[in-house]
Amino acid sequence: MLEDHVSNKKALFPNGVHTELREQKSRNRRVSLVQGNLTGNARMESSGTSARVYQNGVYGFSSMAECSGEAAETVLKAAAENALFMDRHVGRGKEPLPIIPCGGIPLSKKIQDAAQKHYIEFAKELDSYITAHCPKLSSRSVVAMEDSMEKIICTSDGYDGHICAPRSYVYVFLNSETTSGTPIELFVPFGGSGTFLENFTDPSLCYSKIDALYEQLMHKREGIYAEAGYKTVVLGGLMSGMLAHEAVGHTVEADLVLGGSVAGPALNKCVASELVNLVDFAHTAFGKPAPLPVYLDDEGTPAQDATLIKEGILTGYLHSRESAQHFEAMPKGNARAWAFSDEPLIRMRNTAVLPGKDKLEDIIASVEDGYYLLNSTNGQADTTGEFMFGINMGYEIKKGKLGRALLDTTISGVAFEMLKTVDMVSDTVEWASSGYCGKKQPMPVGMGGPALRCKVMIGGR
Amino acid sequence: MEDIKRIAEKTKKTLQGAGAQKAQFTVTEKEKHEFNVDGGEFSLFRTLFDRSLSITAYKDNKKGSAFINQFDDSSINSAVMDCIKSAESGIPDEAYDIAPRQEAETFRDGAYEPDMDLFFQRTRELMKDITERHPKIIMEQMIVSHDKVHSVYQNTNGTEFESFTGAYSVSLMFSAHEGETTTSFFGSGVYTDSLDRPFIELGSLEKDLSDTEAQLTTIPMEGKFEGVIVLTPGSLGGFLGSAVSNFVSDGVILEKTSIWLDKLEKQVADSRITISLCPGDSRIVCGEKYTYDGFRSQDYDLIKDGVLKSFMLSLYVSNKSGFAPAKNSSFSVIIEGGDTSYEDMIKNIKKGLIVGRFSGGQPGVNGDFSGVAKNSFLIEDGKVKGAVSETMINGNLAELLNNLVAISRETTADGTTVLPYMAFDKVVISGK
Repeated sequence: MLEDHVSNKKALFPNGVHTELREQKSRNRRVSLVQGNLTGNARMESSGTSARVYQNGVYGFSSMAECSGEAAETVLKAAAENALFMDRHVGRGKEPLPIIPCGGIPLSKKIQDAAQKHYIEFAKELDSYITAHCPKLSSRSVVAMEDSMEKIICTSDGYDGHICAPRSYVYVFLNSETTSGTPIELFVPFGGSGTFLENFTDPSLCYSKIDALYEQLMHKREGIYAEAGYKTVVLGGLMSGMLAHEAVGHTVEADLVLGGSVAGPALNKCVASELVNLVDFAHTAFGKPAPLPVYLDDEGTPAQDATLIKEGILTGYLHSRESAQHFEAMPKGNARAWAFSDEPLIRMRNTAVLPGKDKLEDIIASVEDGYYLLNSTNGQADTTGEFMFGINMGYEIKKGKLGRALLDTTISGVAFEMLKTVDMVSDTVEWASSGYCGKKQPMPVGMGGPALRCKVMIGGR
Repeated sequence: MEDIKRIAEKTKKTLQGAGAQKAQFTVTEKEKHEFNVDGGEFSLFRTLFDRSLSITAYKDNKKGSAFINQFDDSSINSAVMDCIKSAESGIPDEAYDIAPRQEAETFRDGAYEPDMDLFFQRTRELMKDITERHPKIIMEQMIVSHDKVHSVYQNTNGTEFESFTGAYSVSLMFSAHEGETTTSFFGSGVYTDSLDRPFIELGSLEKDLSDTEAQLTTIPMEGKFEGVIVLTPGSLGGFLGSAVSNFVSDGVILEKTSIWLDKLEKQVADSRITISLCPGDSRIVCGEKYTYDGFRSQDYDLIKDGVLKSFMLSLYVSNKSGFAPAKNSSFSVIIEGGDTSYEDMIKNIKKGLIVGRFSGGQPGVNGDFSGVAKNSFLIEDGKVKGAVSETMINGNLAELLNNLVAISRETTADGTTVLPYMAFDKVVISGK
């Protein structure tokens, strides 16, 4: 656990300017088995102290790889000098940031650190299961990992806090070949918020998901290429979550709005069907802990949910304290930093489309000729809202019934146009949280949603 | 700055005392000075002081790794013990190894110490140049930094490499705007060890800014056809990265899923294509000096005259597969210019697309790719007709390399790669 060297340094904060001082330890444990070969077996830790000072519209930041009172004093001094340098040369003459209420968030979780042997044995168990039960594979990989961020955050105004956010996953990758010899791959992550010891008590609890993945892979062996064109599709919950994050969430990050994103002129306008509601949840969603709960951001703002789209209308952006001042909005705890040496950036937390009233089976039954798209390899979106998702698992829908599996393809569209075509929304939400969002720094995020019936461009061959 | 040689000696002794039979480690200290621009305005100046100790130890043919950024005795002891315990828990494999002893060398490369006054002056000048010459551009984010890195690599076979490197990097993310019309964002950057020239003159920054402004007006792209795509140096790098990952990297050779597994010394591409990995080339800034396994890096050809000459393998996968390890572990790709000017390349295309950026799904292991052609222009009858939107391209990476039309004479050197424009036929291009 981190020892607190920063809370008693408030007296050294520069006068009259917003200041943050943070001590952080990040840990990562990872084991990779490829075809039963142990290709990765690593334990990583990095820790240090950073400070950021806001002066007349510009920030100074400094960090060093040390957790001590002396380090705290050094980075505070350097950050203040950097802010002064910027103010002198490119000062923007802005007002100080509005004061937010003070408070504190105590440490609520301690990490129980699993030995590396635990990760290795767990991965080996799953690898043995795959070898015994999935005969038609060309190759297989299993990755077991945990990462965590522990931070002590101390601010001139706002909340102070000691927070700890571990998450752990096992990823299973299965490869095979189509009947015509084309290599195909599928993967599934298990896990979520919490340590490896908490999330992975028994390998046999993963077996049914491996069986389901293998079954999908066998369907894909007989797969067909999607017919290219503008099609009616049912996006599964994981896909609508990716849409919420990539195609909408990024465009409403206020720093990207200031950079010219399509959401700038769209505020308070209709950007989606009235069936579409979208929220960036802080720590609790639908009465349960969100996939990756965030209680306090790195600017000292306590985290609250941010509603982005309400009944099809774009209602707000995601903010840092500085952007909230610019747009005369309330910051809701979206300014987050990855490593001790990173400054807070506007990031999503747990972004989801809210569920509707339709049953998934009714949505599929309503499609005469289209596709049911379940999972993706990756996704990217533009500040114009134009998005692209690689699809690695899906099925054709013919006359309301699922047909053959699809080979890898891509879908694309423009978010605020495509969301207007949503005419059915399922009543259950699926979440994903195993990846990293990339925006100068990586960041763990959750994303989720219900199944949506809509129209998108799909690539064929 | 720390005495990192002392840390290296301490680490070596601790590893030997803890029972490591073989080991390699790198001790690094780094300083970064960075300016940020957000939404077109200067926003942040940050200075970072970091360090790291990365250790891999081997015991009874088992391997473990640890990474820390603290240099006190207790942290080093516990990282070494973590590493050894991880190895002891591992799976024995005779393929684990480190490079044999290499001649000790010290490398000094680039601008180790920053000229902060001139650096800041060049940064402000870049913002001014962009504002004056490209008024329709909004700079979503600009990150310019100087990174100073001092590192020591040692292994238990007696190798020691010490390096001192420093360079400036410029990374821009921008789009063009006119009224409510917005282009797709575009990223461009350079890596340099010299402040002699204005940043805007380096790499393809100026052209990328101009091209983005030209994308404000788009023409409709309807229907579907098989045509030629011209990959710009920027988008070509992404395609090459996917091809490498799918056909010649550690993972696909170990898994035996590469479709080039039996293609070594065989034709895999048009005979005009030679792809080299050259961290030692003078156009590469602060290129790799030694590999992850502890070999002195050497330049090599991945594909020469269309023939596959090497896989990009680590020592471990080399030992597992029987193929030779790569002579360096960098991605310092060089494709020399061809015999056609860029202008003539375009003139000779009946129908196709200049692809400035590809936003696509991760290509399948067979090399199939499919995605959106962003920041792209339609070519018809040898003329650039205009920018397109919502246009998809799909094809296959392996087939692409055999459907070469031309390589441009002009190349772009951005400090990390040297790449020309390359035109490839038989790609499916489809509009809405």
